[in-house]
Amino acid sequence: MKMFIQLVIMGLALGSIYSLIAMGYSLIYKASGLMTFVQGDILTIGAFLGLTFYRFLKLPYIVSVLLTMAVAFVIGFLLEKGVIRKLLNKNVMAIYIVLATIAVSYIFQNGAQAIWSSKVEYFPTVFKTDSISILGVGVQPESLLCVGASLLCMVLLHIFMTKTRVGTSMRAAAMDPMAAESCGINVSMNTGITWGLSAGIAAVAGIFIGPMYGVYVTLGAKIGTKGFAGAVMGGYGNMYGAMVGGLILGLVETFVAGYISSDFKNMFAYIILIVFLFVKPTGIFNEQAIQDV
Amino acid sequence: MKNNLKSMKLIKCLIAVVIALLVPAALGGSSYLCLIASFVTIYIIGASGLDVLFGYSGQISMGHAAFYAIGGYGAGLMSKYLGIPLFISMFLAAAIAAVIGALLAFPASKLKFHFLSLATIAFGEIVYQMACHSPNKITGDFNGFFSSKLSIFGLKLDTNIKFYFFGVACVVVFLLVKQMIVKSRTGRAFVAIRENTQAAEGMGVNVRKYKIIAFAISAFFVAFAGSMYLGLVGYLHPDMYLQKQSVLFVTMMLFGGSASLAGPVIGAISIEIILEGLRTFEEYQMLIYGILLLVVIVAMPGGIVGAARDIKAGFLRRKAKKQAGKEVQ
Repeated sequence: MKMFIQLVIMGLALGSIYSLIAMGYSLIYKASGLMTFVQGDILTIGAFLGLTFYRFLKLPYIVSVLLTMAVAFVIGFLLEKGVIRKLLNKNVMAIYIVLATIAVSYIFQNGAQAIWSSKVEYFPTVFKTDSISILGVGVQPESLLCVGASLLCMVLLHIFMTKTRVGTSMRAAAMDPMAAESCGINVSMNTGITWGLSAGIAAVAGIFIGPMYGVYVTLGAKIGTKGFAGAVMGGYGNMYGAMVGGLILGLVETFVAGYISSDFKNMFAYIILIVFLFVKPTGIFNEQAIQDV
Repeated sequence: MKNNLKSMKLIKCLIAVVIALLVPAALGGSSYLCLIASFVTIYIIGASGLDVLFGYSGQISMGHAAFYAIGGYGAGLMSKYLGIPLFISMFLAAAIAAVIGALLAFPASKLKFHFLSLATIAFGEIVYQMACHSPNKITGDFNGFFSSKLSIFGLKLDTNIKFYFFGVACVVVFLLVKQMIVKSRTGRAFVAIRENTQAAEGMGVNVRKYKIIAFAISAFFVAFAGSMYLGLVGYLHPDMYLQKQSVLFVTMMLFGGSASLAGPVIGAISIEIILEGLRTFEEYQMLIYGILLLVVIVAMPGGIVGAARDIKAGFLRRKAKKQAGKEVQ
């Protein structure tokens, strides 16, 4: 029982990271019909930025989180404006956009290595206590912070998308770009904001995961690829599906590692991904976007 | 006229082969440079195989490292545990990879671009994990897999120069086969599917069947390239089959220009030279490579062949304009 509770909490913490990544994928796919391979490496960058602000510059935790988010937003926005939009304007084959995002992910990953280091950096703990007890089980407080903050992010994003002017225009631009344009919405601007927002979410995920896993250059690459499994499971392009899919993925992975073998942990996410693509590509939330590629 | 063009092409190909055969002499017989040249022959076969899939039938795969792994490990395991000579097990492994490719393509053929790439990424990762955590550790897991080097019916290919000539022979055979496939009824069906799947279906092309055939052929090519790698180096490590490798194949194919005979060849040669050249920058190698890649994609999508075609077209247009101007005057 003790192990079960521990696994649930670990699974939720990991799952909320996958959720954040998968939400980025879904937002971008909905807004521009594209797939990005940089999310994972933006997570790495976010973790390193957070490390820099929090450990090296000794800023308060909350300030570090917000600063990281802002920087990542700018990175994502510039990525869309400087690379993706340029390629779209040239009307190239979709494969070049995919390849461009992969090239950017190489740059981020190796740039992080050049700027920071190739060692595993330790991320200082956020709270004073090492563990708090839940139902008699000792839990790292950072993992609870991770779950809580991720849920908060999701709620905030939901409010932003449904209740604010910018969010509504973003949804309109995603739904029908031409109609939105004729209503006076700046579609290109909105796509840029979407990319920035996705980058911001991914970077925050990096800060949350830092205290649990440590920070290193390939931290995000694996999480980024596995995040696709969460996104597809929930229904690619569906924000809420991504949240649910990510959480399920995190739980499944932790339980497989805990009860079967950690050797199969990584394989399982990909088996889920491939099975969902072959059997139910529209995912749990039956998102139809996948069919109109 | 048509015959003339055909013979021109043939002559160009022959010249290319002669140049390829002279490469070791030009490299001064340096063993290291010949090793690089041998890698190039392997990559040419791999990139050409991917070209059959992407360039001609319009399906993407971001997981071809899986077939590269199946070729390498398959050939090695068969020769080690079943005692089949490596040269024969290379073909067997490639055939097995083709069957696996067909089995994968059966459900995957209904997926469109982005999601097909996701499915192939997942497949690639699953094969990678299997190589890392194999049953009974037959692949040697993270210690790597050792094998004897290639010998063909008693003729030992123990030096890199000897292997290079074998590699060139393989390239010639595989490119001939590729060209035969592409120019055949099957190849025309591929192009029809690429251009417009619905229209192809309407004309009576069995879309799923041909998509599966394309997958099987490209799996065969890439797996054979993988087994050649084993024959050349005699050692495999799971980390060779990360997603990076799949991306490398795609990059080579696109850099030269897809759906052409020369494209993957040019791409494989130039990317391998660039990567080797950047080796002097050590830990900055991949960073510079990434930047270079991004710049090339943004500046000339369409690859080297595409860029050359554009320049030629622009030149002709200017010439035509000049002529038109003259006529008006």
